[in-house]
Amino acid sequence: MIQDNPESKFIFIFHPKILIGKKYTVRNGQEMTNGEVLQYWGKWIVLGEKSWLDKVAIKLDPLVESKEIPVIKYDREPSVNLGIDECVMMVYCDRRDRDRIWQILSRFGVKLKAWVTEKETMEMWLPGGLLLERWIASKDFDEFTQNAVREDAQARIGYLFDHPDEIFVPWEQ
Amino acid sequence: MPVKIIIPGSLKRWFDGETEYSCQGERILDCIDRLEERFPGVKGHLIDPKGNISNVLIFLNGDNLRILDGLSTTVKDGDEISIIPLAASG
Repeated sequence: MIQDNPESKFIFIFHPKILIGKKYTVRNGQEMTNGEVLQYWGKWIVLGEKSWLDKVAIKLDPLVESKEIPVIKYDREPSVNLGIDECVMMVYCDRRDRDRIWQILSRFGVKLKAWVTEKETMEMWLPGGLLLERWIASKDFDEFTQNAVREDAQARIGYLFDHPDEIFVPWEQ
Repeated sequence: MPVKIIIPGSLKRWFDGETEYSCQGERILDCIDRLEERFPGVKGHLIDPKGNISNVLIFLNGDNLRILDGLSTTVKDGDEISIIPLAASG
């Protein structure tokens, strides 16, 4: 199902069972741990105009319903404050399934082939990481707020690295 | 068969509006040098003065150069290089 909540930065495509607490980070019936997510989880990055991504989303939705693709999210509008004038779609999956998922995406006209691991993304959102520091710089935060943002990032993301054996719990977005 | 470079719309302003470009080279860095010859100034957008990839992520057949050999990664005919803005990565 496609969840298009105007209050969210993202539009999501997920299986309806997510609404009753089922996780999408599952492998062979087992929920993945933080360590497994850091080792295996990632996404194909798709860039394009919002209208094109809306069309791709409609085509991909049945494949999420049939559990061929675990979960997808994409921007409601471009992150111009970060220098991007297109919307970004992230098609998440386990690295061990990524080639199969890529075949699906290429069938729907995706040409750009960019696999980004969740570990790499999280490292970039830790204090000192390229993405977090650029995002902070794009905001007009005072020093106190900047430090609070860094502490929050360290607490939330650092937890995954510090507790690899715990079951992964996705964040509310 | 040359190496194909795929460029998203967000970066096409650096490439005279092109979204695909083909070039020859032995390493990724050679391909970027070919890009610089065709699109002067583009190398400065992709690589910082210390020679590190900056502002973007570069992928060879889907894999980030960071997990390969960086700009020294060798390429062969038929390979595809994709470039995305750094901020699009997550």
